[in-house]
Amino acid sequence: MSDIQQILVPDVGGEEVEVIEICVAVGDTLEADEGIVTVETDKASMDIPAPMAGELTSLSVNVGDKIKEGDVIGEMKAAGANEAPAEPAPAQEPEVKEEPAAAPEVTPAEAAPTPVASGGSEVIEVVVPDIGEDGEVDIIDVLVAVGDEVQEEDGLITLETDKATMDVPSSHAGIVKEVLVSVGGKIGTGGVVVKLETNSGAPAAIEEPQAPAVQAKAEEVVPAAAPEKKAAPVPHHPSAGEFKATGKVYTSPSIRRLAREFGVDLTLVKGTGRKGRILKEDVQSYVKYELSRPKANAGSSVASGEGGLQVVAAKSVDFSKFGEIETKELTRIQKISGPFLHRNWVTIPHVTQFDEADITELEKFRKEQNVICEKQKMGFKITPLVFLMKAAAKTLAEFPVFNSSLSDDGESLILKKYFHIGIAVDTPTGLVVPVVRDVDKKGIYELSKELLEISAKARDGKLKAADMQGGCFTISSLGGIGGTAFTPIVNAPEVAILGVSKSDMKPKWNGKEFEPRLMLPLSLSYDHRVIDGALAARFSVHLASVISDIRKLVL
Amino acid sequence: MSNEIKTQVVVLGAGPGGYSAAFRAADLGLDVVLVESRKTLGGVCLNVGCIPSKALLHVAKVIDDAKEMASHGVSFGAPEIDLDKVRSWKDSVIGQLTGGLGGMAKQRKVTTVYGYGKFTSDKTIEVEGEDGTTTVTFDNAIIACGSSVVELPFIPHDDPRVIDSTGALELADVPEEMLVLGGGIIGLEMGTVYSSLGSNVSVVEFADQLIPAADADVVKIYTKHNKTRFKEIMLSTKVTAVEAKEDGLYVTFEGKKAPEGQVRYDKILVAVGRKPNGHLVAADKAGVNVDERGFINVSNELRTNVGHIFAIGDVVGQPMLAHKAVHEAHVAAEVIAGKKHVFEPRAIPSIAYTDPEIAWVGVTEREAKEQGLNVETANFPWAASGRAIASGRTEGKTKLIFDKDSGRVLGGSIVGINAGEMLGEIGLAVEMGADAEDVALTIHAHPTLNESIGLAAEIFEGSITDLPNAKAVKKKK
Repeated sequence: MSDIQQILVPDVGGEEVEVIEICVAVGDTLEADEGIVTVETDKASMDIPAPMAGELTSLSVNVGDKIKEGDVIGEMKAAGANEAPAEPAPAQEPEVKEEPAAAPEVTPAEAAPTPVASGGSEVIEVVVPDIGEDGEVDIIDVLVAVGDEVQEEDGLITLETDKATMDVPSSHAGIVKEVLVSVGGKIGTGGVVVKLETNSGAPAAIEEPQAPAVQAKAEEVVPAAAPEKKAAPVPHHPSAGEFKATGKVYTSPSIRRLAREFGVDLTLVKGTGRKGRILKEDVQSYVKYELSRPKANAGSSVASGEGGLQVVAAKSVDFSKFGEIETKELTRIQKISGPFLHRNWVTIPHVTQFDEADITELEKFRKEQNVICEKQKMGFKITPLVFLMKAAAKTLAEFPVFNSSLSDDGESLILKKYFHIGIAVDTPTGLVVPVVRDVDKKGIYELSKELLEISAKARDGKLKAADMQGGCFTISSLGGIGGTAFTPIVNAPEVAILGVSKSDMKPKWNGKEFEPRLMLPLSLSYDHRVIDGALAARFSVHLASVISDIRKLVL
Repeated sequence: MSNEIKTQVVVLGAGPGGYSAAFRAADLGLDVVLVESRKTLGGVCLNVGCIPSKALLHVAKVIDDAKEMASHGVSFGAPEIDLDKVRSWKDSVIGQLTGGLGGMAKQRKVTTVYGYGKFTSDKTIEVEGEDGTTTVTFDNAIIACGSSVVELPFIPHDDPRVIDSTGALELADVPEEMLVLGGGIIGLEMGTVYSSLGSNVSVVEFADQLIPAADADVVKIYTKHNKTRFKEIMLSTKVTAVEAKEDGLYVTFEGKKAPEGQVRYDKILVAVGRKPNGHLVAADKAGVNVDERGFINVSNELRTNVGHIFAIGDVVGQPMLAHKAVHEAHVAAEVIAGKKHVFEPRAIPSIAYTDPEIAWVGVTEREAKEQGLNVETANFPWAASGRAIASGRTEGKTKLIFDKDSGRVLGGSIVGINAGEMLGEIGLAVEMGADAEDVALTIHAHPTLNESIGLAAEIFEGSITDLPNAKAVKKKK
């Protein structure tokens, strides 16, 4: 027996095949017939076995290389006279670490790659980053198809949360090998969206052959850590994606039959049993959930009388009979927010309290400060809204009932010890409400800067779900446009909202004479289940007095 | 005499599929007529298939076991075989089962009409019976007309020395030289019976392994164990001509293992497969599509292209197995009764009742490779099984096939004595989505052959202690 032997590619049943996995490393001791590399033919993948037992001394192929029968892929040194055991041992796990369980440690900011356990280093899974929702959300659009080439940051799918729609960006550039989701499906944080072949391992379809040296790209990219975000959980079962693809859900025949009877697509049901097994209860709760879930269609919810509301559905009218018309689809944000606005409007008993705040002094002070801001090139202007936010935070602290939410059972109030204020922002695609956190702890400058940033983000459609969560109270300012008063809709689960109209110079009696004062109209809508009229009036008066004399902010 | 019957459901054919469909439909409150061309219920399976062959295989096993005992110190002497008695015992087995079925049909108030049934429209079937024609008008029909043996053009099938499985089960005599044409399950089972009874049996198979559907490693164990049972096993070989002469059938072969010139045999058993009977029931009169080969295409509710006509069993496709037909039968009856059921098994078991038995369920290793599944197999050799050693049958092995990532059981094969009886556990594991850990943690009784399934799962899990453990933690030296 010669010491060194070349490892030749055996008959692989075709012309050239691609190496998709290296199963061993140089220096490893191999059994005869142990797989050295895995190649993919047009029929199946197969291992190129070690011709004998011994040590692997060299390996001359990389993942992505094409090899054919007779090619030398490396050399081996025989392992003395030691024979493999007579009864072949069950296929041994290669020494290569492929532990998929390592994934959950990562805290992805963007979609994070998880190496696919079976596919080698160049195929990665792109997962949904933290979307700020606990459960799963609807997939309303799939923007890529198998075979598409995507760039890093390109949108892959569009998700719809309670608050907004958002695109899930690709974590890498590459070719889409498999799309694991579909429109109408659901996905949660950590769910696998697509399997992506990063450009390093792209098949021959790509024109210019890439140097195989970049093959490890997928692993080199460390997802940037995002502060204040919890780690994305791994999909509930490591093989869930694979079984989705083949329709092999993890459950028993009786549950498959039950699902059939109810018309439930089991790939959409999350199993709560051990290792993600779908139980009878899971099918039952899925059906219950689907029946109770509000459908994102304002019209139908009226007709169906959601929440016990029995109303006659509007008759359809052919408007073209009366003149020229054009049909324009509601924006995505309108479609999403519509049902929620509607729900809030019909389920919350609204009362709106009107008042005026004297902002003559505030405006004088503000304009002086803005001159300074400009001189010092601070890059922002102070707007009246910032003072309104500070004043609102101050007043909320005085009237804790306004900084609360009703418990789910409607039996108790949940009082909040933080002061996060939502600001309604008009954007080209619709109304969004980003939330500014801890307004009570921030200064006017800091708030001005933050407001500027958040408004820009809102207008560019770059708000994340987390940016729109956690509000205690909302301010909707139409002061820049006009109007004297309006009745805003409470942004549940908050219990009050402040509407602000255009300020106006008015004659005010100061006891001796009429004096011109700049008056700001305030419209405070509140949930009458939680707040009494007298309390609302007191809140309103207090708020106006703080705005009128902002020295009260420091009291 | 002419009869007219009106019914909610008519079932055409009373094999395992047909009678199961009829009984299930009756139990769901439907009015059922069962049409059968034989004089007894049970179809091929009970009358000339599964059951009588098992009776004869039992005889063969006892003969072989008795012979085997000589090497363990117990000698019985040469067996004296009274063929007539063996035959009548086999017939009594059939009689007991078919009689039982007749009784159950009566008890369920299923009307049985004996005679050859054919469609005359999409609402009527005409049955030509011994005492006249019966017209059955139905709301729903279930076609369960089964399959028949494939005949080959170059073989003189009209010569009484050429037999099929039915002829083999008749046990007319024990020929000296017998050729089994076809190394599949039926051919090998009958070859086993005749070789145990004393025939010199040769097997010719066109594929490069016996029982081509099973994994090669499993069949290899069978072939090795049966080296002395069969005179010749000619793989990758086919028969090109059979000449019937006074003193025997002279067969010409072609292929890898083909002997020179003609070889004389006293009998030839043709067991090259079965063909569906779709063309034999005038399905076109009902508008039901039948393909060229005779198969009727059905949906997962077992509906044909005609909504109220269903088809089940051999006539709807492979595998042509009684247990598949029975499950299809239940679904078809339940769908007719208004249930939203479909036929969607994950695994259908196959068993060769040879010696040793070969049994497999779910994906085989070859199928896993063809489908590109990422699997890991675990083999438990019976040489390490106390029960196998005590029975003097250590050639067997138990193989489980797992999804490599999830550890879920995707299939398994067993070769060895009683392999068929052990297969159920693997089938249940596949259907339940059980993984290696589930199977390994289930306590299997010791010493049994069945525990080899648990031990194979332990091999995958790396917790095996009855064998060297390839997944043991490597100690640092």
